[in-house]
Amino acid sequence: MKRIFILNILIFFCLASYGQSPKELWTEANNNYSKANYEDALAGFKKIEESGYVSSALYYNMGNTYFKLKQIGKSILYYERALKLDPSDKDALNNLQLAREFTLDRIEEIPDFILNTWIKSINYSFSSDVWGYIALVLLAGVALFLLLFKYGPTLRVRKSSFFASMIFLLFFCISIYFSWSQKHVYNLKDTAIIMKPVSTIKSSPDNSGNTLFILHEGTKVSLLDEIGQWKKIELADGRQGWVSSLDIEVI
Amino acid sequence: MEVNLSKRIMLLLGALLMSIAVCAQAAFTVDVPKVVGLDENFRLVFTATGEPSNFNPPEFKDFDVLAGPSTSTMNSTQIINGKRTDSYQVSYTYILQPKSTGTFSIPAASVTIGGRVYHTNPVSIEVVKGEGSSTSTPSGNAAAPSGTSISSDDIFMKMSVSKGRVVKGETLVATLKLYTKVPIAGFENVKFPSFNGFWSQEIDTPSNIEFTRESVNGKIYNAAVLRRYLLIPQQTGNLIIDQSEMTCLVQVKVSSGVSRSIFDDFFDSYQVVKKRVKAPSLQVNVSPLPSGAPASFAGGVGDFKMSVKLTKDSVNANEAVSLIVSISGSGNLNLIDAPKVEFPADFEVYDTKVSDNASGQGGVKNSGTKVFEYPVIPRGAGVFEIGPVEFSYYDISTQKYKTLNSGKLILRVGQAVEGTDSSVASLPMGINKQSVKSIGNDVRYIRTGVSGFTRANHFFFGSFLFFVFLILIVTAYFAMDKFLSKRIERNRDIAGVKNRRALKVARARLNAAESLMKQNLYSAFFEELHRAILGYCSDKLNLSMAELSRENIAESLEAKFVSKGHIDELISLIDTCEYARFAPDQDKPEMSSNYKRAIKLISELEV
Repeated sequence: MKRIFILNILIFFCLASYGQSPKELWTEANNNYSKANYEDALAGFKKIEESGYVSSALYYNMGNTYFKLKQIGKSILYYERALKLDPSDKDALNNLQLAREFTLDRIEEIPDFILNTWIKSINYSFSSDVWGYIALVLLAGVALFLLLFKYGPTLRVRKSSFFASMIFLLFFCISIYFSWSQKHVYNLKDTAIIMKPVSTIKSSPDNSGNTLFILHEGTKVSLLDEIGQWKKIELADGRQGWVSSLDIEVI
Repeated sequence: MEVNLSKRIMLLLGALLMSIAVCAQAAFTVDVPKVVGLDENFRLVFTATGEPSNFNPPEFKDFDVLAGPSTSTMNSTQIINGKRTDSYQVSYTYILQPKSTGTFSIPAASVTIGGRVYHTNPVSIEVVKGEGSSTSTPSGNAAAPSGTSISSDDIFMKMSVSKGRVVKGETLVATLKLYTKVPIAGFENVKFPSFNGFWSQEIDTPSNIEFTRESVNGKIYNAAVLRRYLLIPQQTGNLIIDQSEMTCLVQVKVSSGVSRSIFDDFFDSYQVVKKRVKAPSLQVNVSPLPSGAPASFAGGVGDFKMSVKLTKDSVNANEAVSLIVSISGSGNLNLIDAPKVEFPADFEVYDTKVSDNASGQGGVKNSGTKVFEYPVIPRGAGVFEIGPVEFSYYDISTQKYKTLNSGKLILRVGQAVEGTDSSVASLPMGINKQSVKSIGNDVRYIRTGVSGFTRANHFFFGSFLFFVFLILIVTAYFAMDKFLSKRIERNRDIAGVKNRRALKVARARLNAAESLMKQNLYSAFFEELHRAILGYCSDKLNLSMAELSRENIAESLEAKFVSKGHIDELISLIDTCEYARFAPDQDKPEMSSNYKRAIKLISELEV
């Protein structure tokens, strides 16, 4: 046990001496962006991403950098990724809409139900982890109030602690749901962005299939199925087809 | 007398004319055919406009002077629409004959007109071995071959371009020329080429065709420019100027007969023969402009200069002012787009006015000035910076893009004068507020603050730790629950035991009293009850029977924190017992109720 601990410390120091910390990379890349050295900034952001760190701010900044480099497809991809981590991110939403102006395909997206938007904005005001901790605290509260309900000294205390425990239970369920849904949405790999300037959508998962329609860079599609190098996609208007997985990038 | 008068008038007129001539534009030119045959004599004419003096002829090294100089004077007055133009010309004519073939130059001649010395340009003359049988006047007297056959050697058309290799946007001049040795009466079915891939403009369309002599492959032709075009290629690659065609009406002399005399020429009849001539098609190689064009490149190719100015340096708000950008130079001036000018956002910018005054030497209008006028109305007061205006063009001579920068222009805008903009001034307050306009679009700025990094694919929810905590809380609950319930159970048991014991003690104490009650022995029952209560008190309070007074009992019970109610009940019970023992028969206290009182009291005291 001790050995493993020492080994861990050693590995940590090796990593620390090998490359800059993500915080340093982050500040450096941001500085490069503000000086309009977009290529350097992008390289910095990519390094952070490769080192295994993510955050909606990172994806948002990458989207901005790609936008400045006029790579609209990539910038849409990263805005979508930022929104996947935090769908209530107003800046990313705004920039995504702006970037979409530059794409060729016009596909109407149905706006979310307002209640849904509210719930989402509450959900994503904390991260999945924070919701997890909140749920545990609430569960502890439920347990406490149940005990108080059972063994309270007077009837009034018992009555009110029963109500309190029920409310805590409700909030516990909600926070568990939020924590779960964030994780679920994150792990869902069901949408993708077209990356090629012109990408043909075939009727079958091979090159010999009929061309059904053509999509352009930056269009969002949902993924339905996969066969080898081909992915079955669906557009927002319901049309389906097969596209080479090289043409798309999963959000 | 009359002669004298006329002489005087003549003199007067002459003096008048002379003065006018001096005033008129003085010039000194030379006129000579470009090409002559070796055995041909030709005329060389120096023409001086104005009153010349001191004519200084050049030296004719390579030519024999056959005659000259012969001087002739011309005097003309024109009145057109009341405007009078006088001209006075003196020409000096030489008749020369070349000595040998080759290209020779005649050096400059000089003359003094009105005190200034004028020089002619040196001219070069090509001497060929051609059959320059006829002299002067090209169109009529060119040697017409006898017979009706006209070879393509006698008459042909040629299209030539000033440059064969150009870059896209570079101007070039295409010239369509007719070369002939035979007299021409006219043209028919003229088909001029279409210039596919070029922006073209006819720059020289002479109304009457003038022939000049030129040598082609050592032969003298009368050449005439039919059309000249200014071309600006709009595509890259090999662009083809297709062929042009026309039918020439050629006059052919028909020999009248056998006898050839000096008069035959007069009686020879001429026949008009139609001859189709074609100018072969031509290729122009257009290479694309190199990459790396600056952002302000507006398609200009050539050599340009730019000047930028404001019509006024300071204006009041709501007054119009114009920014004038004039681009001058040579190149494809016609195709230059208006340079983009950044005006402050508060300015109202109107459509750009473009005026073009292309001019150029020799009718080639590829140079000149293009003026862009940007009318603007500043809506708010302040000192504004306009520009800088940038204009980029591709410089052909250095083969590089060049950017001209005007620098920043400062416009001072004063407060709006009342009534300058009546539509605004007459409106009530608050109406002329404007909504905030979006000027440009850009992505919102990046996040620079907290990065909020987390490990990718790492979630607390569903992790081992999460479940450990969850189970921990649940087990803690159950453990706590069990612990609490056990404790309560135990507490409840202690109370029960005590109650049972207390009741037992009370029952034991009152056992005898109960049996007496059942036997209905009234005084014995109360005696026994009294004794039992006092016994209980002595046991409970550790008091001897002697010490058992009511005060002592109450005091001791109080010290044991027994409630006042119980103490009073106990005292009243003792009182009742004592009263019953000595009371008369009529009002006896009830036995069973007092028994119950005692049982209750003792068990309560015991608990």
